[in-house]
Amino acid sequence: MQRYTEDMKAKSTLGVVFFPAFDWAIHPLHPEREERLLYTLDQLNEEGVFDIEGIYQYKPDIASYDDIMRTHFCFPDVSKVTTQSHLISAGGTIKAANLVMDHIVNKSFALVRPPGHHAMKVVHGARGFCNINIEAVMVEYIREHYPVKKIAIVDTDCHHGDGTQDIYWHDRDVLYISMHQDGRTLYPGTGAIHELGGPNALGTTINIPLPPNTSDEGFLMAMQRVVLPILKDFKPDIIINSAGQDNHYSDPITNMNFSALGYAQLTEMLNADIAVLEGGYSIQGALPYVNLGITLAMAGLDYSYVHEPDYSQKDLSQDKEITKYIKRLCDQVLKRYEECKKPSFKLMPGNYDVRKKEIYYDTDNIREMQLESIMVCDECRGVLKIETTSTVNPLCLGIEIPLNACDRCQKEGYRLLDHALSGDRYKYVQLIDRRNKKYVLY
Amino acid sequence: MYLGLDVGGTHTDAVIIDKSGVIAHTKVATTHHNLLECINEAFKNVLTGIDPSHIKRVNLSTTLTTNAIIENKCEEVGIFVSGGPGINPAHYSIGNYYFIIDGQIDHRGTEITLLNLHQLEKALKKCRKKDIKVYTVVSKFSTRNPIHEQYIQQKLSDADFVSVGHTMSGNLNFPRRIATAYYNAAVWRLYNTFSYAIEESLKSLGVIAPVNILKADGGTIPLHVSRSIPVESILSGPAASVIGTMALCNITQDAVMLDIGGTSCDIALFADGAPLIEKDGIRLNTHNTLVRSLKTKSIGIGGDSAIKVDGTAVTAGPQRLGMSMAEGGQNPTIIDALNVIGTINFKNTARSQEGLSSLEKKSGIPAQTIAQQAITYALDIIYNEVMAMIDEVNSRPVYTIHEFLKGKVLQPKTIYLIGGPAKTLAFHITQRFGWNVKVPPYSQVANAIGAAVARTTVDIELFADTQRCRLLVPNLNVNIRIPQDYDVDNAIEDATNYMMQFLESIGVDERERQIEILQVYAFNMVDGFETTGKNIRVHCQVKPGILHQCRDILKI
Repeated sequence: MQRYTEDMKAKSTLGVVFFPAFDWAIHPLHPEREERLLYTLDQLNEEGVFDIEGIYQYKPDIASYDDIMRTHFCFPDVSKVTTQSHLISAGGTIKAANLVMDHIVNKSFALVRPPGHHAMKVVHGARGFCNINIEAVMVEYIREHYPVKKIAIVDTDCHHGDGTQDIYWHDRDVLYISMHQDGRTLYPGTGAIHELGGPNALGTTINIPLPPNTSDEGFLMAMQRVVLPILKDFKPDIIINSAGQDNHYSDPITNMNFSALGYAQLTEMLNADIAVLEGGYSIQGALPYVNLGITLAMAGLDYSYVHEPDYSQKDLSQDKEITKYIKRLCDQVLKRYEECKKPSFKLMPGNYDVRKKEIYYDTDNIREMQLESIMVCDECRGVLKIETTSTVNPLCLGIEIPLNACDRCQKEGYRLLDHALSGDRYKYVQLIDRRNKKYVLY
Repeated sequence: MYLGLDVGGTHTDAVIIDKSGVIAHTKVATTHHNLLECINEAFKNVLTGIDPSHIKRVNLSTTLTTNAIIENKCEEVGIFVSGGPGINPAHYSIGNYYFIIDGQIDHRGTEITLLNLHQLEKALKKCRKKDIKVYTVVSKFSTRNPIHEQYIQQKLSDADFVSVGHTMSGNLNFPRRIATAYYNAAVWRLYNTFSYAIEESLKSLGVIAPVNILKADGGTIPLHVSRSIPVESILSGPAASVIGTMALCNITQDAVMLDIGGTSCDIALFADGAPLIEKDGIRLNTHNTLVRSLKTKSIGIGGDSAIKVDGTAVTAGPQRLGMSMAEGGQNPTIIDALNVIGTINFKNTARSQEGLSSLEKKSGIPAQTIAQQAITYALDIIYNEVMAMIDEVNSRPVYTIHEFLKGKVLQPKTIYLIGGPAKTLAFHITQRFGWNVKVPPYSQVANAIGAAVARTTVDIELFADTQRCRLLVPNLNVNIRIPQDYDVDNAIEDATNYMMQFLESIGVDERERQIEILQVYAFNMVDGFETTGKNIRVHCQVKPGILHQCRDILKI
C-alpha cells in the first residue's frame, strides 16, 4: 500500500478558529445570515482539511467588555451596541492571536462571523454589517499582552476597511494597507490614494483603490509592486490579513474578477501570521473554494487544484487598459508613500489637529457627527479626544491616552477627563488609558 | 441467556449472562494465525453444562478485520475515485489499483461535470486484466448526490463485491470515505468466509440464536448485515470494555473509565452516563476512517510496564518486557513496585524486592524510592492523559451561539477502574485524582460482558434540499424527491421513520428501537432577495448502550 502522506503534512502548522454562528443573522434575508459559512464548512469537511497533519480546528474565546473598551468608544455602552455573536467573533480573533503568540501553531485563521472592518473608533451601532472591529480588538489585545510593537494589517476585502483605517489613522505602529474596489464605484466610498494617515502617523495608512473588473493579474501586481515593498520597509513584527472574499468574480455585491486560485496565490505571497475573515457573500460559488484556498496556502500546502466549479467557463483575463491603469496606480501609491517620509507642514507639538467627520451607519440607519482632536506629539501617538453625537445618542466624549503615552499626553488626558466630568456637557464619557490599562465609562 | 465473546490481543474471553448474572466465563489464549480456533474453544468452554438452545443472542467482538488491515493481508481492490477540484485526489491514493476518474459534484450535490467514461473504461480494463474481483467506488460529495458512484457501480456488475462510498456513512469527508470504502472491500472476502464459519460452528454446538458483531461505537449489527459492511467490525475491543463497565456499574453522571491491562491503559469518557463518541470516526493504520467509534485512547502504561532508571530519572513503560518478577518475569514492573511499597501482596513478593534491589545497585537510589517514583510516574501519565482528553472534549468546536454559551461541560469526578491490575491500583488512583474510584466485580471479563449485552446501534444523517427537491439518507441508500414545502418537522419525522424501518428490517426488537435526535439544522437558502429553499440536516442515532432485556436481568 502506498500513500503520499508526506505531501499532506502542513509546512506551517495552522490553527483554524471556525465559528459560523449558525444561529445568528442580521435578519433572515440579509447577506450576513446563518447560511453564510454553511457551504464553506461542508467543503472543508468533505476535503478532510481538519484531518491534515498540522491543521487544527479551535473553538473561539469570548471577548470581554475590557477587550472591546480597550479598542472602541462605545456609546451608550458596550452592551447596547453588541450582541453575544459580536463578542464571540471578536473572541475568535483573540483565540487566533493567542495560538500564534503562544507558539501553539505557526499561523492562524479566524474563520468567524460577523465581520468587523467597517466598525470605527466610535461605535453607536452597526455599519457595513459590522459593530465591533474584530481585527482591531485583536491588535489591541496582542499589544496589551505581548511585547509586540509593529503590526501590519493588509485588508484584501473588496470594500475599503474604513473602520480599521479610522482606528489606526493616528497610529504609526500599525501599518494599514487596503486593496479594494475604487470607492467611487462601491460602498463605503473612502480609501482614495491621498488618505495616508494623521499628522503623527503619515504614511502608515496606504490605500490601493483598484478599478472594477480587476482580475488575478491586477491583484497580484498590486501585491508585488506596492504591498510587499512597503511591508519590507515597515518591518512589522506581525502581519494580519483582513481576508474579505468579496473580490471574487461571483460576488453579488461587488464588481471584481478575482478567483479562488488568485486568493490562494495572494495568501502565499503575503505570508500573513494571522488571517481574519471579513466580507464575502457569494456563499456557494466563492466562499467554499476561497476559504479552502486560503487555508491550504497558509499551511504551505498545494492549492493548485482548487477551482470554482464554473472557473473553466469564465473568461477572467484582464483588460489591457485596466492593467495599464493599475500599473500607474501602483506608481502613484508608492510615490505618495515615499513623500510621507519627507518633512512636511505640521502643527507644533502640543497643539491639537482637528477633524470634523460625518458618519453614516447604513446597517442601523444612524447618523453621527464627530469632532476628533489629536495632540500633535513627537514623543508618542498623542492623546486623542473625540466629541460625538448621533441620531441615537446625545453628545458624548471619548478620551484615549495611547499605549506608551508620553507624560505630557498622559497628563493632558486626565485634564480633559476632569474638565469633562466637572460639567454636564456630555451624556457619557469613556476613558481609554492604555498606560494604566484603565477602560472606564462615566 | 446472552453469550458475549471478545477476542483480545492476548486472551479471548467469553461469558454467558442470565437472570442470576454472569453464570459462566472462560479465558483462552488468542490464536492469531487462526481466530476460529480460539473462538471455537471459548464457545465450547463457556457452553459446558449449559443448554445451548437457551442462548437468545450471541454477540461477537473480533480482531479479524483489524489484524488483516494492520498486517496488510488484504485482497487487491480496484479503486475508482472521482474527485473534481479541491485537494488533489492523488494525495489519497491507497492500494495498488487506484484510479482517478474526472467528474465533479459540488457541495449542494449539483453535477458540474460528467464522469469521464473514457478514463473509466481504461481503468476497468486494467483491473479486469489483473483479475480483480472486488472494487471500491467513491466520489466527492457522494453523500449529497451519489450519481457518479452509482453509475460506476452499474458498470461493475461482474464484480464479486463493490464497496460504495456513500453507503459507508452520511458524513462528509472524502479522504475518510475513500479509506473506509477501500478497507471494506479489502477485507470483504476474508470476513465473509469467517462469518459463515462462525455460523457453522455455532450451529454444530446447538446454538440457534441470532449472531451479532460488535462495532467500535459499542453497538452491534446482525452478522448477516455486517457481510456487506465488514469494515464496521474494526477496533471493537475498547468499546467492549466500555459497554461492560456500563453493564457492571450503573453510570448516570460524567465519568472516566480506565481499563488497565498488562501493557496498556485504555481511557474512555462518559457524559451524563453515556459513552462519548469520536467526532468523525476511528483511525486505523495511518488512515482516518468514517467508522463510528467511541472516544477512547490507549496509552502505554499497565501493570507489566517495565521500570527503567536513567541517571536519577525513574520511568515505566511504554515497553512490556514480559510479566512482573512476582509472576516469574525477568524485569521489575509496576506490579513489583506495588509489592515493594506494600500496597499489594501479590504472588512472589521476594522476587519483586530482588528486582528493585538490582535497580538500586545499578543506580544508587533506594529500592523503595524507585518503586514509589515508578508508581508516581505511571500515575502522572494516566492523570495527564485523562485531563488532556477531558480538555479536548470541552474545547471541541461548536457552531452555534447557543452551544457556545450553554453547551455541556464535561466535569467527571468518578473513575471506573477495570482490567487485571485494576484493584491493585485503585488506592493510588484515588490519591492521584482525588476522585471517587470504583472497581466493579467481574472487572476482568468486563470486555466479554460488554460484548454480550451491547445493543444494536445505527446512526443516520438525513439531508434535505428543498430547492433541488432532494432528500438523502446516504447510508440507508435513500434518495427521493421531496416537495418544495418540505420542512424541518417533516425531516425529523422522516429520519425517525427511516431509522425505524431499517431497525425493523434487520430484526431489532421493538424495545431496542429508541431513536435519539442528535442534531437538527435548518437553513434558509437565499438567492438575491428571495428565499429559494431550505437546507435541512438531521442526525439521529440509536445510542450505544445495554440491551433492555439485559438491563432487567442485571438489575440496572
